[in-house]
Amino acid sequence: MKPAGIYIHIPFCQAKCAYCDFVSFAGLEHLHAPYIQALLREIELKSPAWAGIPFDTLYLGGGTPSILSPAQIGHLLEACRRHFQVLPESEITLEANPGTVQNWLPWRKLGITRLSLGIQSLHDDELALLGRIHAAQEAIQAYTAARAAGFENINLDFLFGLPGQSLRRWQETLTQALELAPEHLSLYCLTLEEHTPLARQIAQGLLPAPDDDLAAEMYELAEEMLAKAGYLHYEISNWARSTGESEGELPRLACRHNVKYWHNERYLGLGAAAYSYDGKHRSGNVEHPKDYILRLQRGQDPTATSEETDRQRQIEETMMLGLRLLEGISWEAFSQRFGEDLREIYAQEITTLAEEGLLTIDELGIRLSKRGRLLGNRVFAAFLH
Amino acid sequence: MMERSDGRIRNFCIIAHIDHGKSTLSDRLLESTGTIQLREKVEQVLDRMDLEREKGITIKAKAVRMFYDYPGDGQRYELNLIDTPGHVDFSYEVSHALSACEGAILVVDATQGVEAQTIANLYMAMEHDLEIVPVVNKIDLPSARPDEVAEEIEALLGIPAEDVLQISAKEGIGIDDVLKAIVERVPPPKGNVEAPLRALIFDSHYDTYKGVIAYVRVVDGVIRPGDRAMLMSTEKELEPLEVGVFTPDMEPVEELRAGEVGYIATGLKTVRDCRVGDTITDLDRPAEEPLPGYRPPKPMVFAGLYPVNNEDYGALRDALEKLQLNDASLVFQPESSVALSSGFRCGFLGLLHMEIVQERLEREYGLDLLATAPSVEYQVLRKDGEVVVVDNPADLPPPEEIEEIHEPWMRVSIFTPQDYIGPLIELATSRRGEFERMEYLDERRVLLSFLMPLSEILVDFYDQLKSRSRGYASMDYAFYGYRPGDLVKMDILVNSVPVDALSLIVHRDKAYEKGSALVRRLKEVIPPQLFPVPIQAAIGGRVIARATVRALRKDVLAKCYGGDVTRKRKLLERQKEGKKRLKRIGKVDIPQEAFLAVLKLGE
Repeated sequence: MKPAGIYIHIPFCQAKCAYCDFVSFAGLEHLHAPYIQALLREIELKSPAWAGIPFDTLYLGGGTPSILSPAQIGHLLEACRRHFQVLPESEITLEANPGTVQNWLPWRKLGITRLSLGIQSLHDDELALLGRIHAAQEAIQAYTAARAAGFENINLDFLFGLPGQSLRRWQETLTQALELAPEHLSLYCLTLEEHTPLARQIAQGLLPAPDDDLAAEMYELAEEMLAKAGYLHYEISNWARSTGESEGELPRLACRHNVKYWHNERYLGLGAAAYSYDGKHRSGNVEHPKDYILRLQRGQDPTATSEETDRQRQIEETMMLGLRLLEGISWEAFSQRFGEDLREIYAQEITTLAEEGLLTIDELGIRLSKRGRLLGNRVFAAFLH
Repeated sequence: MMERSDGRIRNFCIIAHIDHGKSTLSDRLLESTGTIQLREKVEQVLDRMDLEREKGITIKAKAVRMFYDYPGDGQRYELNLIDTPGHVDFSYEVSHALSACEGAILVVDATQGVEAQTIANLYMAMEHDLEIVPVVNKIDLPSARPDEVAEEIEALLGIPAEDVLQISAKEGIGIDDVLKAIVERVPPPKGNVEAPLRALIFDSHYDTYKGVIAYVRVVDGVIRPGDRAMLMSTEKELEPLEVGVFTPDMEPVEELRAGEVGYIATGLKTVRDCRVGDTITDLDRPAEEPLPGYRPPKPMVFAGLYPVNNEDYGALRDALEKLQLNDASLVFQPESSVALSSGFRCGFLGLLHMEIVQERLEREYGLDLLATAPSVEYQVLRKDGEVVVVDNPADLPPPEEIEEIHEPWMRVSIFTPQDYIGPLIELATSRRGEFERMEYLDERRVLLSFLMPLSEILVDFYDQLKSRSRGYASMDYAFYGYRPGDLVKMDILVNSVPVDALSLIVHRDKAYEKGSALVRRLKEVIPPQLFPVPIQAAIGGRVIARATVRALRKDVLAKCYGGDVTRKRKLLERQKEGKKRLKRIGKVDIPQEAFLAVLKLGE
């Protein structure tokens, strides 16, 4: 049995960023402590259902998990280890934002193996536009300090395709980012989400709308620069530094936790708005931390939505998620999982997409072509019926 | 209680320009006579179709019987209101509704004055020798100028301005005066109860239980359920299962007598067998002459309707057949297009009729449709002397076989405040309009008359008329005749492939201008594709205009993690659903509006 992953959602931030539509809240400091208590209860509550399942990744995401104290996070990790079968050598990731942590040592001591820093840009004006609480210099300092504290596997998040951002400015950010030599880079094209301040400003004409064609050029520039710098592109928006040893289908420094999502494997989500997938059901917890805390204080299950995925749906989701990885989907893995030949059940779709130049086919399987990586939605949608 | 009027009958209709208050006045009359109770009142009782209410127009004629106790003689009168469609597309229906009446209430908006449709309908009413009862409506509005408008009516009709009733249907002012005037001024019906039956069909509808219901005005004789009857134009036999009146719901009666208005449940299965304008007579004692006026409805505008999804072809045919049960003026026949595969060539009375049919098909039958640009019916004289009728530009014979192409021309009447005479003449002449004459209606308003090809009217003319006159001008038109023109077929090539459904017939002098505007417009409405797509306009193989739809470079979700799977999946599904509404031609996905792009080229 493949080990599963644990995701813990920390829905708190010091300030809400202008582009963010995640479940995260600023100004709820008074809920931090009760929220931890609620999480500890949920861990107890969920442990019987996940008994006997080994876990080898644990991901603390947000929000901004680093807004909590190392002691609070420590309690959570301890409880997880006590109630779930967390394997030694597990990947334990903490998402952190520059400007929230002064001293990284206590965090390192918790056994966190991987750090993911939300840097987003190395230009102060862009950071201000995005509503980030830090300047570029602070971000670099946070990275250097974390390194000094002994973190050996660090990811940096960046955004491109910002309103008014030129190709040249993006190149500058990338150049500086590569100088930092992180183990991992996540480069996301900005998605304008409805009801965010940024989307409103653009709708009101206060900011220029991002240009899709330019964003495509930025993406291609990143692919090129990162490849030269020795990074392996393994998912649409993710790169891992080459270790110089043999890498296999996935780079050694790929985020093992996130790869579970793309392989459509099981994961247990804990906390407000956290999602779980047990291989059959996708279920989500109540979204607001207040409701979440209330439910658990009453000893109730925090699940708000749950849907069963039938076989067809599992196949479709396996395609939609798996094709995000550059390794693609192998004939072998697919037939092992579903007992059917991918080439038969999606014969038409595969042929068409290959003709359109969006999909590459070889003896191992199918994967997005270079162009397909920029037109992924066309490919994913084709596999949904 | 049985209502008695002992043959004291008045049959009348209301004629008005759109939005001048015809429906509101109808409602008030029904209310004042107690035909409908206030509590059961739905605004605009007679406009039953949702579409009618939304567009503020009447599409089909309707009738309703009221009783009115006339204070002048203390007697009870039967008043039959026959509601008429107000739009020029439906003038054939109007003419038959008018034949069923002896009088017409002419409603004119006190703030707007006389408009093009007012005049058009008024002339028609006068042709039918109807007694006109003029009414100025909306006198409660601050901008009302009832006396001035009454003067306008006097100038137009010769009816003294002081005899023009001033009312507000909305506020219920003057409604009783209207009822009195109907009794006093509208003549009672003539006709002979003893003569053989002659009943004029002025509308019909299909009822699931009773079959085709004919709306009739009995001119001579009597009809009772069970009488053997027949249609005079086709000699088709009828067995009236039921006769009745509209109150406004259908209410059976024992008989309908000369002068009365009501319905006959004919037992027929389709309204096509029961044509508006036809005469019903007694099978055993037929009348010698039918009532005047029957002619089959003549479609003027033609367009292809295609299902977006080919598998809906059967559903579209069924839906058209069902609509036709109630709409004898809708004609259709199967058509196939290289680009759009199988669909139907449909004939409509006009653009509004086309729009209504398309909307009903989509709304009531849940179909996703593609409509091609509307075309008129061309008469093509071939070099071999044969004349072929072409209502689809794609069917035009090759140029070398054509001697001459004739197209339908209309006489267009435009009413406008004098300030806009210049821009409107310019508009009409830019559409090949030939100026005929100009008449002053009063010191501010004029009637402009033009001859114009119908094809030029179809393309955005009405919207331009409104925009160039700030909404003040109104228009009406009637068929004038066929005239030859220097016309050519323009092909549109998408990705180097001619798309037959986009072909159009244009005047040679305007081909370049139109072609350029059309490819520009198509470039806007066709979304970016996986590769750059050239759009070309060509005449006889020579490209005269070109534009390129750019290639799509980026369409990908930047993130998808554990919490996103369901949400992102739904997003992709929506995206895919949206793409299904596009028509794939070759390798290019084309949205519905592309086929109507020619209608929205702007000026």
